[in-house]
Amino acid sequence: MLCCRGLDVRRRDTLVLGGVDLDVRPGEVLGVLGPNGAGKSTLLAALCGELQPAAGDVTLDDRALAHWPGAERAQRLAVLPQQSTLNFAFRVEEVVGMGRLPHASGRARDAEIVEAALLAADAAHLAGRSYLALSGGERQRVHLARVLAQLWPGAQGQTLLLDEPTSMLDPLHQHTTLQAVREFALRGAAVLLILHDLNLAARYCDRLLLLGDGRPQVLGTPEEVLRAEPLKAVFGLDVLVQRHPERGHPLIIAR
Amino acid sequence: MSASVRSRRLLIFLGVLLVLAIWLSLALGPVSLPLLDTLRAALRMVGLPVTAAGLEQAELILGQIRLPRTLLGLAVGAVLALSGVAMQGLFRNPLADPGLVGVSSGAALGAAVAIVAGASLGGVPAAFEPYLLSFCAFVGGLGVTALVYRLGRHDGQTSVATMLLAGIALTALAGAAIGLFTYMADDSTLRSLTFWNMGSLNGASYARLWPLLIVALAVSLWLPRRARALNALLLGESEARHLGFEVERLKRELVFCTALGVGAAVAAAGLIGFIGLVVPHLVRLIAGPDHRILLPASALAGASLLLLADLVARLALAPAELPIGIVTAMIGAPFFLYLLLRGRA
Amino acid sequence: MRRIAGALALLIGVLTAPGLAGAEDLPQRWVSAGGSLSEWVVALGGERKLVGVDSTSQHPGSLRALPSIGYQRQLAAEGILALKPDLLLGSEEMGPPTVLAQLKAAGVRIETLSAAPEVPALQANLKRLGELLGDPQRAARTLADYEARLQRQAQWVEQARVTAPAPRVLFLLGHVGNSPMAAGKDTAAAWFVEHAGGRNLTGHDGYKPISAESMAALDPDVVVFADRRLSGDDAIAALLKSTPALASTKAAKGGRILWVDPTLLVGGLGPRIPQALADLSAGFYPAAPPLKVADRQP
Repeated sequence: MLCCRGLDVRRRDTLVLGGVDLDVRPGEVLGVLGPNGAGKSTLLAALCGELQPAAGDVTLDDRALAHWPGAERAQRLAVLPQQSTLNFAFRVEEVVGMGRLPHASGRARDAEIVEAALLAADAAHLAGRSYLALSGGERQRVHLARVLAQLWPGAQGQTLLLDEPTSMLDPLHQHTTLQAVREFALRGAAVLLILHDLNLAARYCDRLLLLGDGRPQVLGTPEEVLRAEPLKAVFGLDVLVQRHPERGHPLIIAR
Repeated sequence: MSASVRSRRLLIFLGVLLVLAIWLSLALGPVSLPLLDTLRAALRMVGLPVTAAGLEQAELILGQIRLPRTLLGLAVGAVLALSGVAMQGLFRNPLADPGLVGVSSGAALGAAVAIVAGASLGGVPAAFEPYLLSFCAFVGGLGVTALVYRLGRHDGQTSVATMLLAGIALTALAGAAIGLFTYMADDSTLRSLTFWNMGSLNGASYARLWPLLIVALAVSLWLPRRARALNALLLGESEARHLGFEVERLKRELVFCTALGVGAAVAAAGLIGFIGLVVPHLVRLIAGPDHRILLPASALAGASLLLLADLVARLALAPAELPIGIVTAMIGAPFFLYLLLRGRA
Repeated sequence: MRRIAGALALLIGVLTAPGLAGAEDLPQRWVSAGGSLSEWVVALGGERKLVGVDSTSQHPGSLRALPSIGYQRQLAAEGILALKPDLLLGSEEMGPPTVLAQLKAAGVRIETLSAAPEVPALQANLKRLGELLGDPQRAARTLADYEARLQRQAQWVEQARVTAPAPRVLFLLGHVGNSPMAAGKDTAAAWFVEHAGGRNLTGHDGYKPISAESMAALDPDVVVFADRRLSGDDAIAALLKSTPALASTKAAKGGRILWVDPTLLVGGLGPRIPQALADLSAGFYPAAPPLKVADRQP
């Protein structure tokens, strides 16, 4: 399990993230919400070792993240960045196949996993095409398939960190993508994702962390977090919170 | 599966092409030898019992002139192409060139120092004299690259973007220093400098070949071991780290490999452009960007292309010789333009 | 046509060579890598033996019909071997060293002569060439004649200086389209100017670009101009056009811009030097009666 305790991150002497205690629990989808500049991506970067915390520590299975050998860590922890800068004409399945680089599972098994991961990200039809010929949303799904393949099939002890995985997707694919992530968690993996859409967060996350000004404001179930007062306090936005007529989770409507 | 079949076919084709290029490089030259003599001399050189009768000239031309030259072309072509792949991987840009980290301009500066100042230094022991130019070029290339790398380091991390800019700045600085040496040079020194800047495989000898051969072998064996890491690096530095690769070490190794390889190649044969840029690009067009194919295929193609270019260089104006840099640029520059315009369409 | 004539001459040379006394030891197929050395070989009657020359061997014009082995510092071993030479003639500048080693290993005799623009070097060179050509007497005669002409030249200059002061001279070397470079004090051009009776004005070494302003400040009495592409009046017209600053100098006002052939300046003292010196000094001292050059050609 990926945990952090008393996490502080500074950039040039400014505290950009402070006092975060968090467990990314197996089988659970944890959503991180917050306005621009609240420290969401900073949190994710600190959790995957990209940023060195000024104080506190990050552990993976009770071992400091920095002490994990690269390949072993990569078998347990996968990260999807917000944007990719890949500028080479790999075929789609080659990009997804890179998720298998930390493993030595053999060419045949890797090909099966790539296929399954592409299917899960609703990108199976893109196989064989050049990555550079894809649209932004298609590329995003291919990278999602890549990180899914890295941890495939998803089991207890594995953690997936996703930075705005739906930012470039159409409404249908926002749902299919998050559904795939949910199913991944159902198989035992722990998932942390950054989201902007409050209603998507309400529907697909088990717990939510609301960040504001680099500090955790509320941590709890969607029902606990998605209330008018904390949302007003953090986002400065007046909202109505209702119940989804069919599914029962909170439904947030701007006033 | 079909992709891997195609890759294997490409490697086989390039292997055959290289063997052909080696044979042509051994068999053709301004001195026309009977084909049978060439063949017999070649067989004798590999140790087969062939009668030596009437082979003196063929053995001399083949053994002392064409073979060292062919080996030099082989090593320089392969190393330049491999370094091109390494730099394009490091900078994650298919248009990157080994010169970006300053190794070529550093080597050129070293050569200028050796050619211009070396004459007036006088303090070099006679035994060392023939190696002065190569040594200075090698040290210059390595030195400037080390400086570029050092400038790119900050807080234990190497910023590729800073390295790129530092490379541009130091290249300009080296250019100014070369200009200063050019100004101080007399007419004949100036011509030597000009010729060096255009590269040549002329005058290859075994004594000066072996350091380059060792470097070429080391680079050709080492770089393919990093093929998977290079693939991951193309995704981005963070992504490669998340896939379990030690990116800082990889970057250091890539820069070191390029500096060593290009430094040794330039020291032995002068500046030869476009192989490092065009060959990886060409291979990528056919086989895709996967480094597991790209690296060996580029080495084979680079060696073949340079040997064929050298054939043009030594035959076009025989008995005089064309600098090989002119030939490679004449092939490379139009091809590069073609790629550019094709990409735009 | 010239090529055929050359081939014919070569054939005759090959056919008749074994008939000469003691010719077995003498090299019969020569490659010359040095402009003035090639000229001397021709002047000493060895043209038939030349089978290849380098890119600086431009005089006499018939040499241009021979295969070119390229620039003297960038010789190609196999290209030269293809000419099947017995001898490679050149100056210390000839190279690269590895190529020379390869040629030597292939049995080519390598003869390195001095390219220094000075009489002692020339004496040694002509002596050696005479031996190699098998006609030392002719070489000795040619040398004596040459020295006598230089001697007469020196005397003439001394005479001329009695009545007129030595002109202050700026020597410019033209490069097509670029601003010209001034010849420094250690160059062959400076030697040339001094022996023609002029006083070289520059203080630097080698050939360096010179600014329009310093050109005007030097204010030379005479400008000597050597251009690689243009000759005679065309070269002078081009110089005045590309360098307007010259117009303010005494040289331009007095119409004293003289042209010389730049090939005279490379590779040491060549056979054309005495005549060129005489021509130049006539320009330096227009009032003095020109030096009569001996009719007898070496």
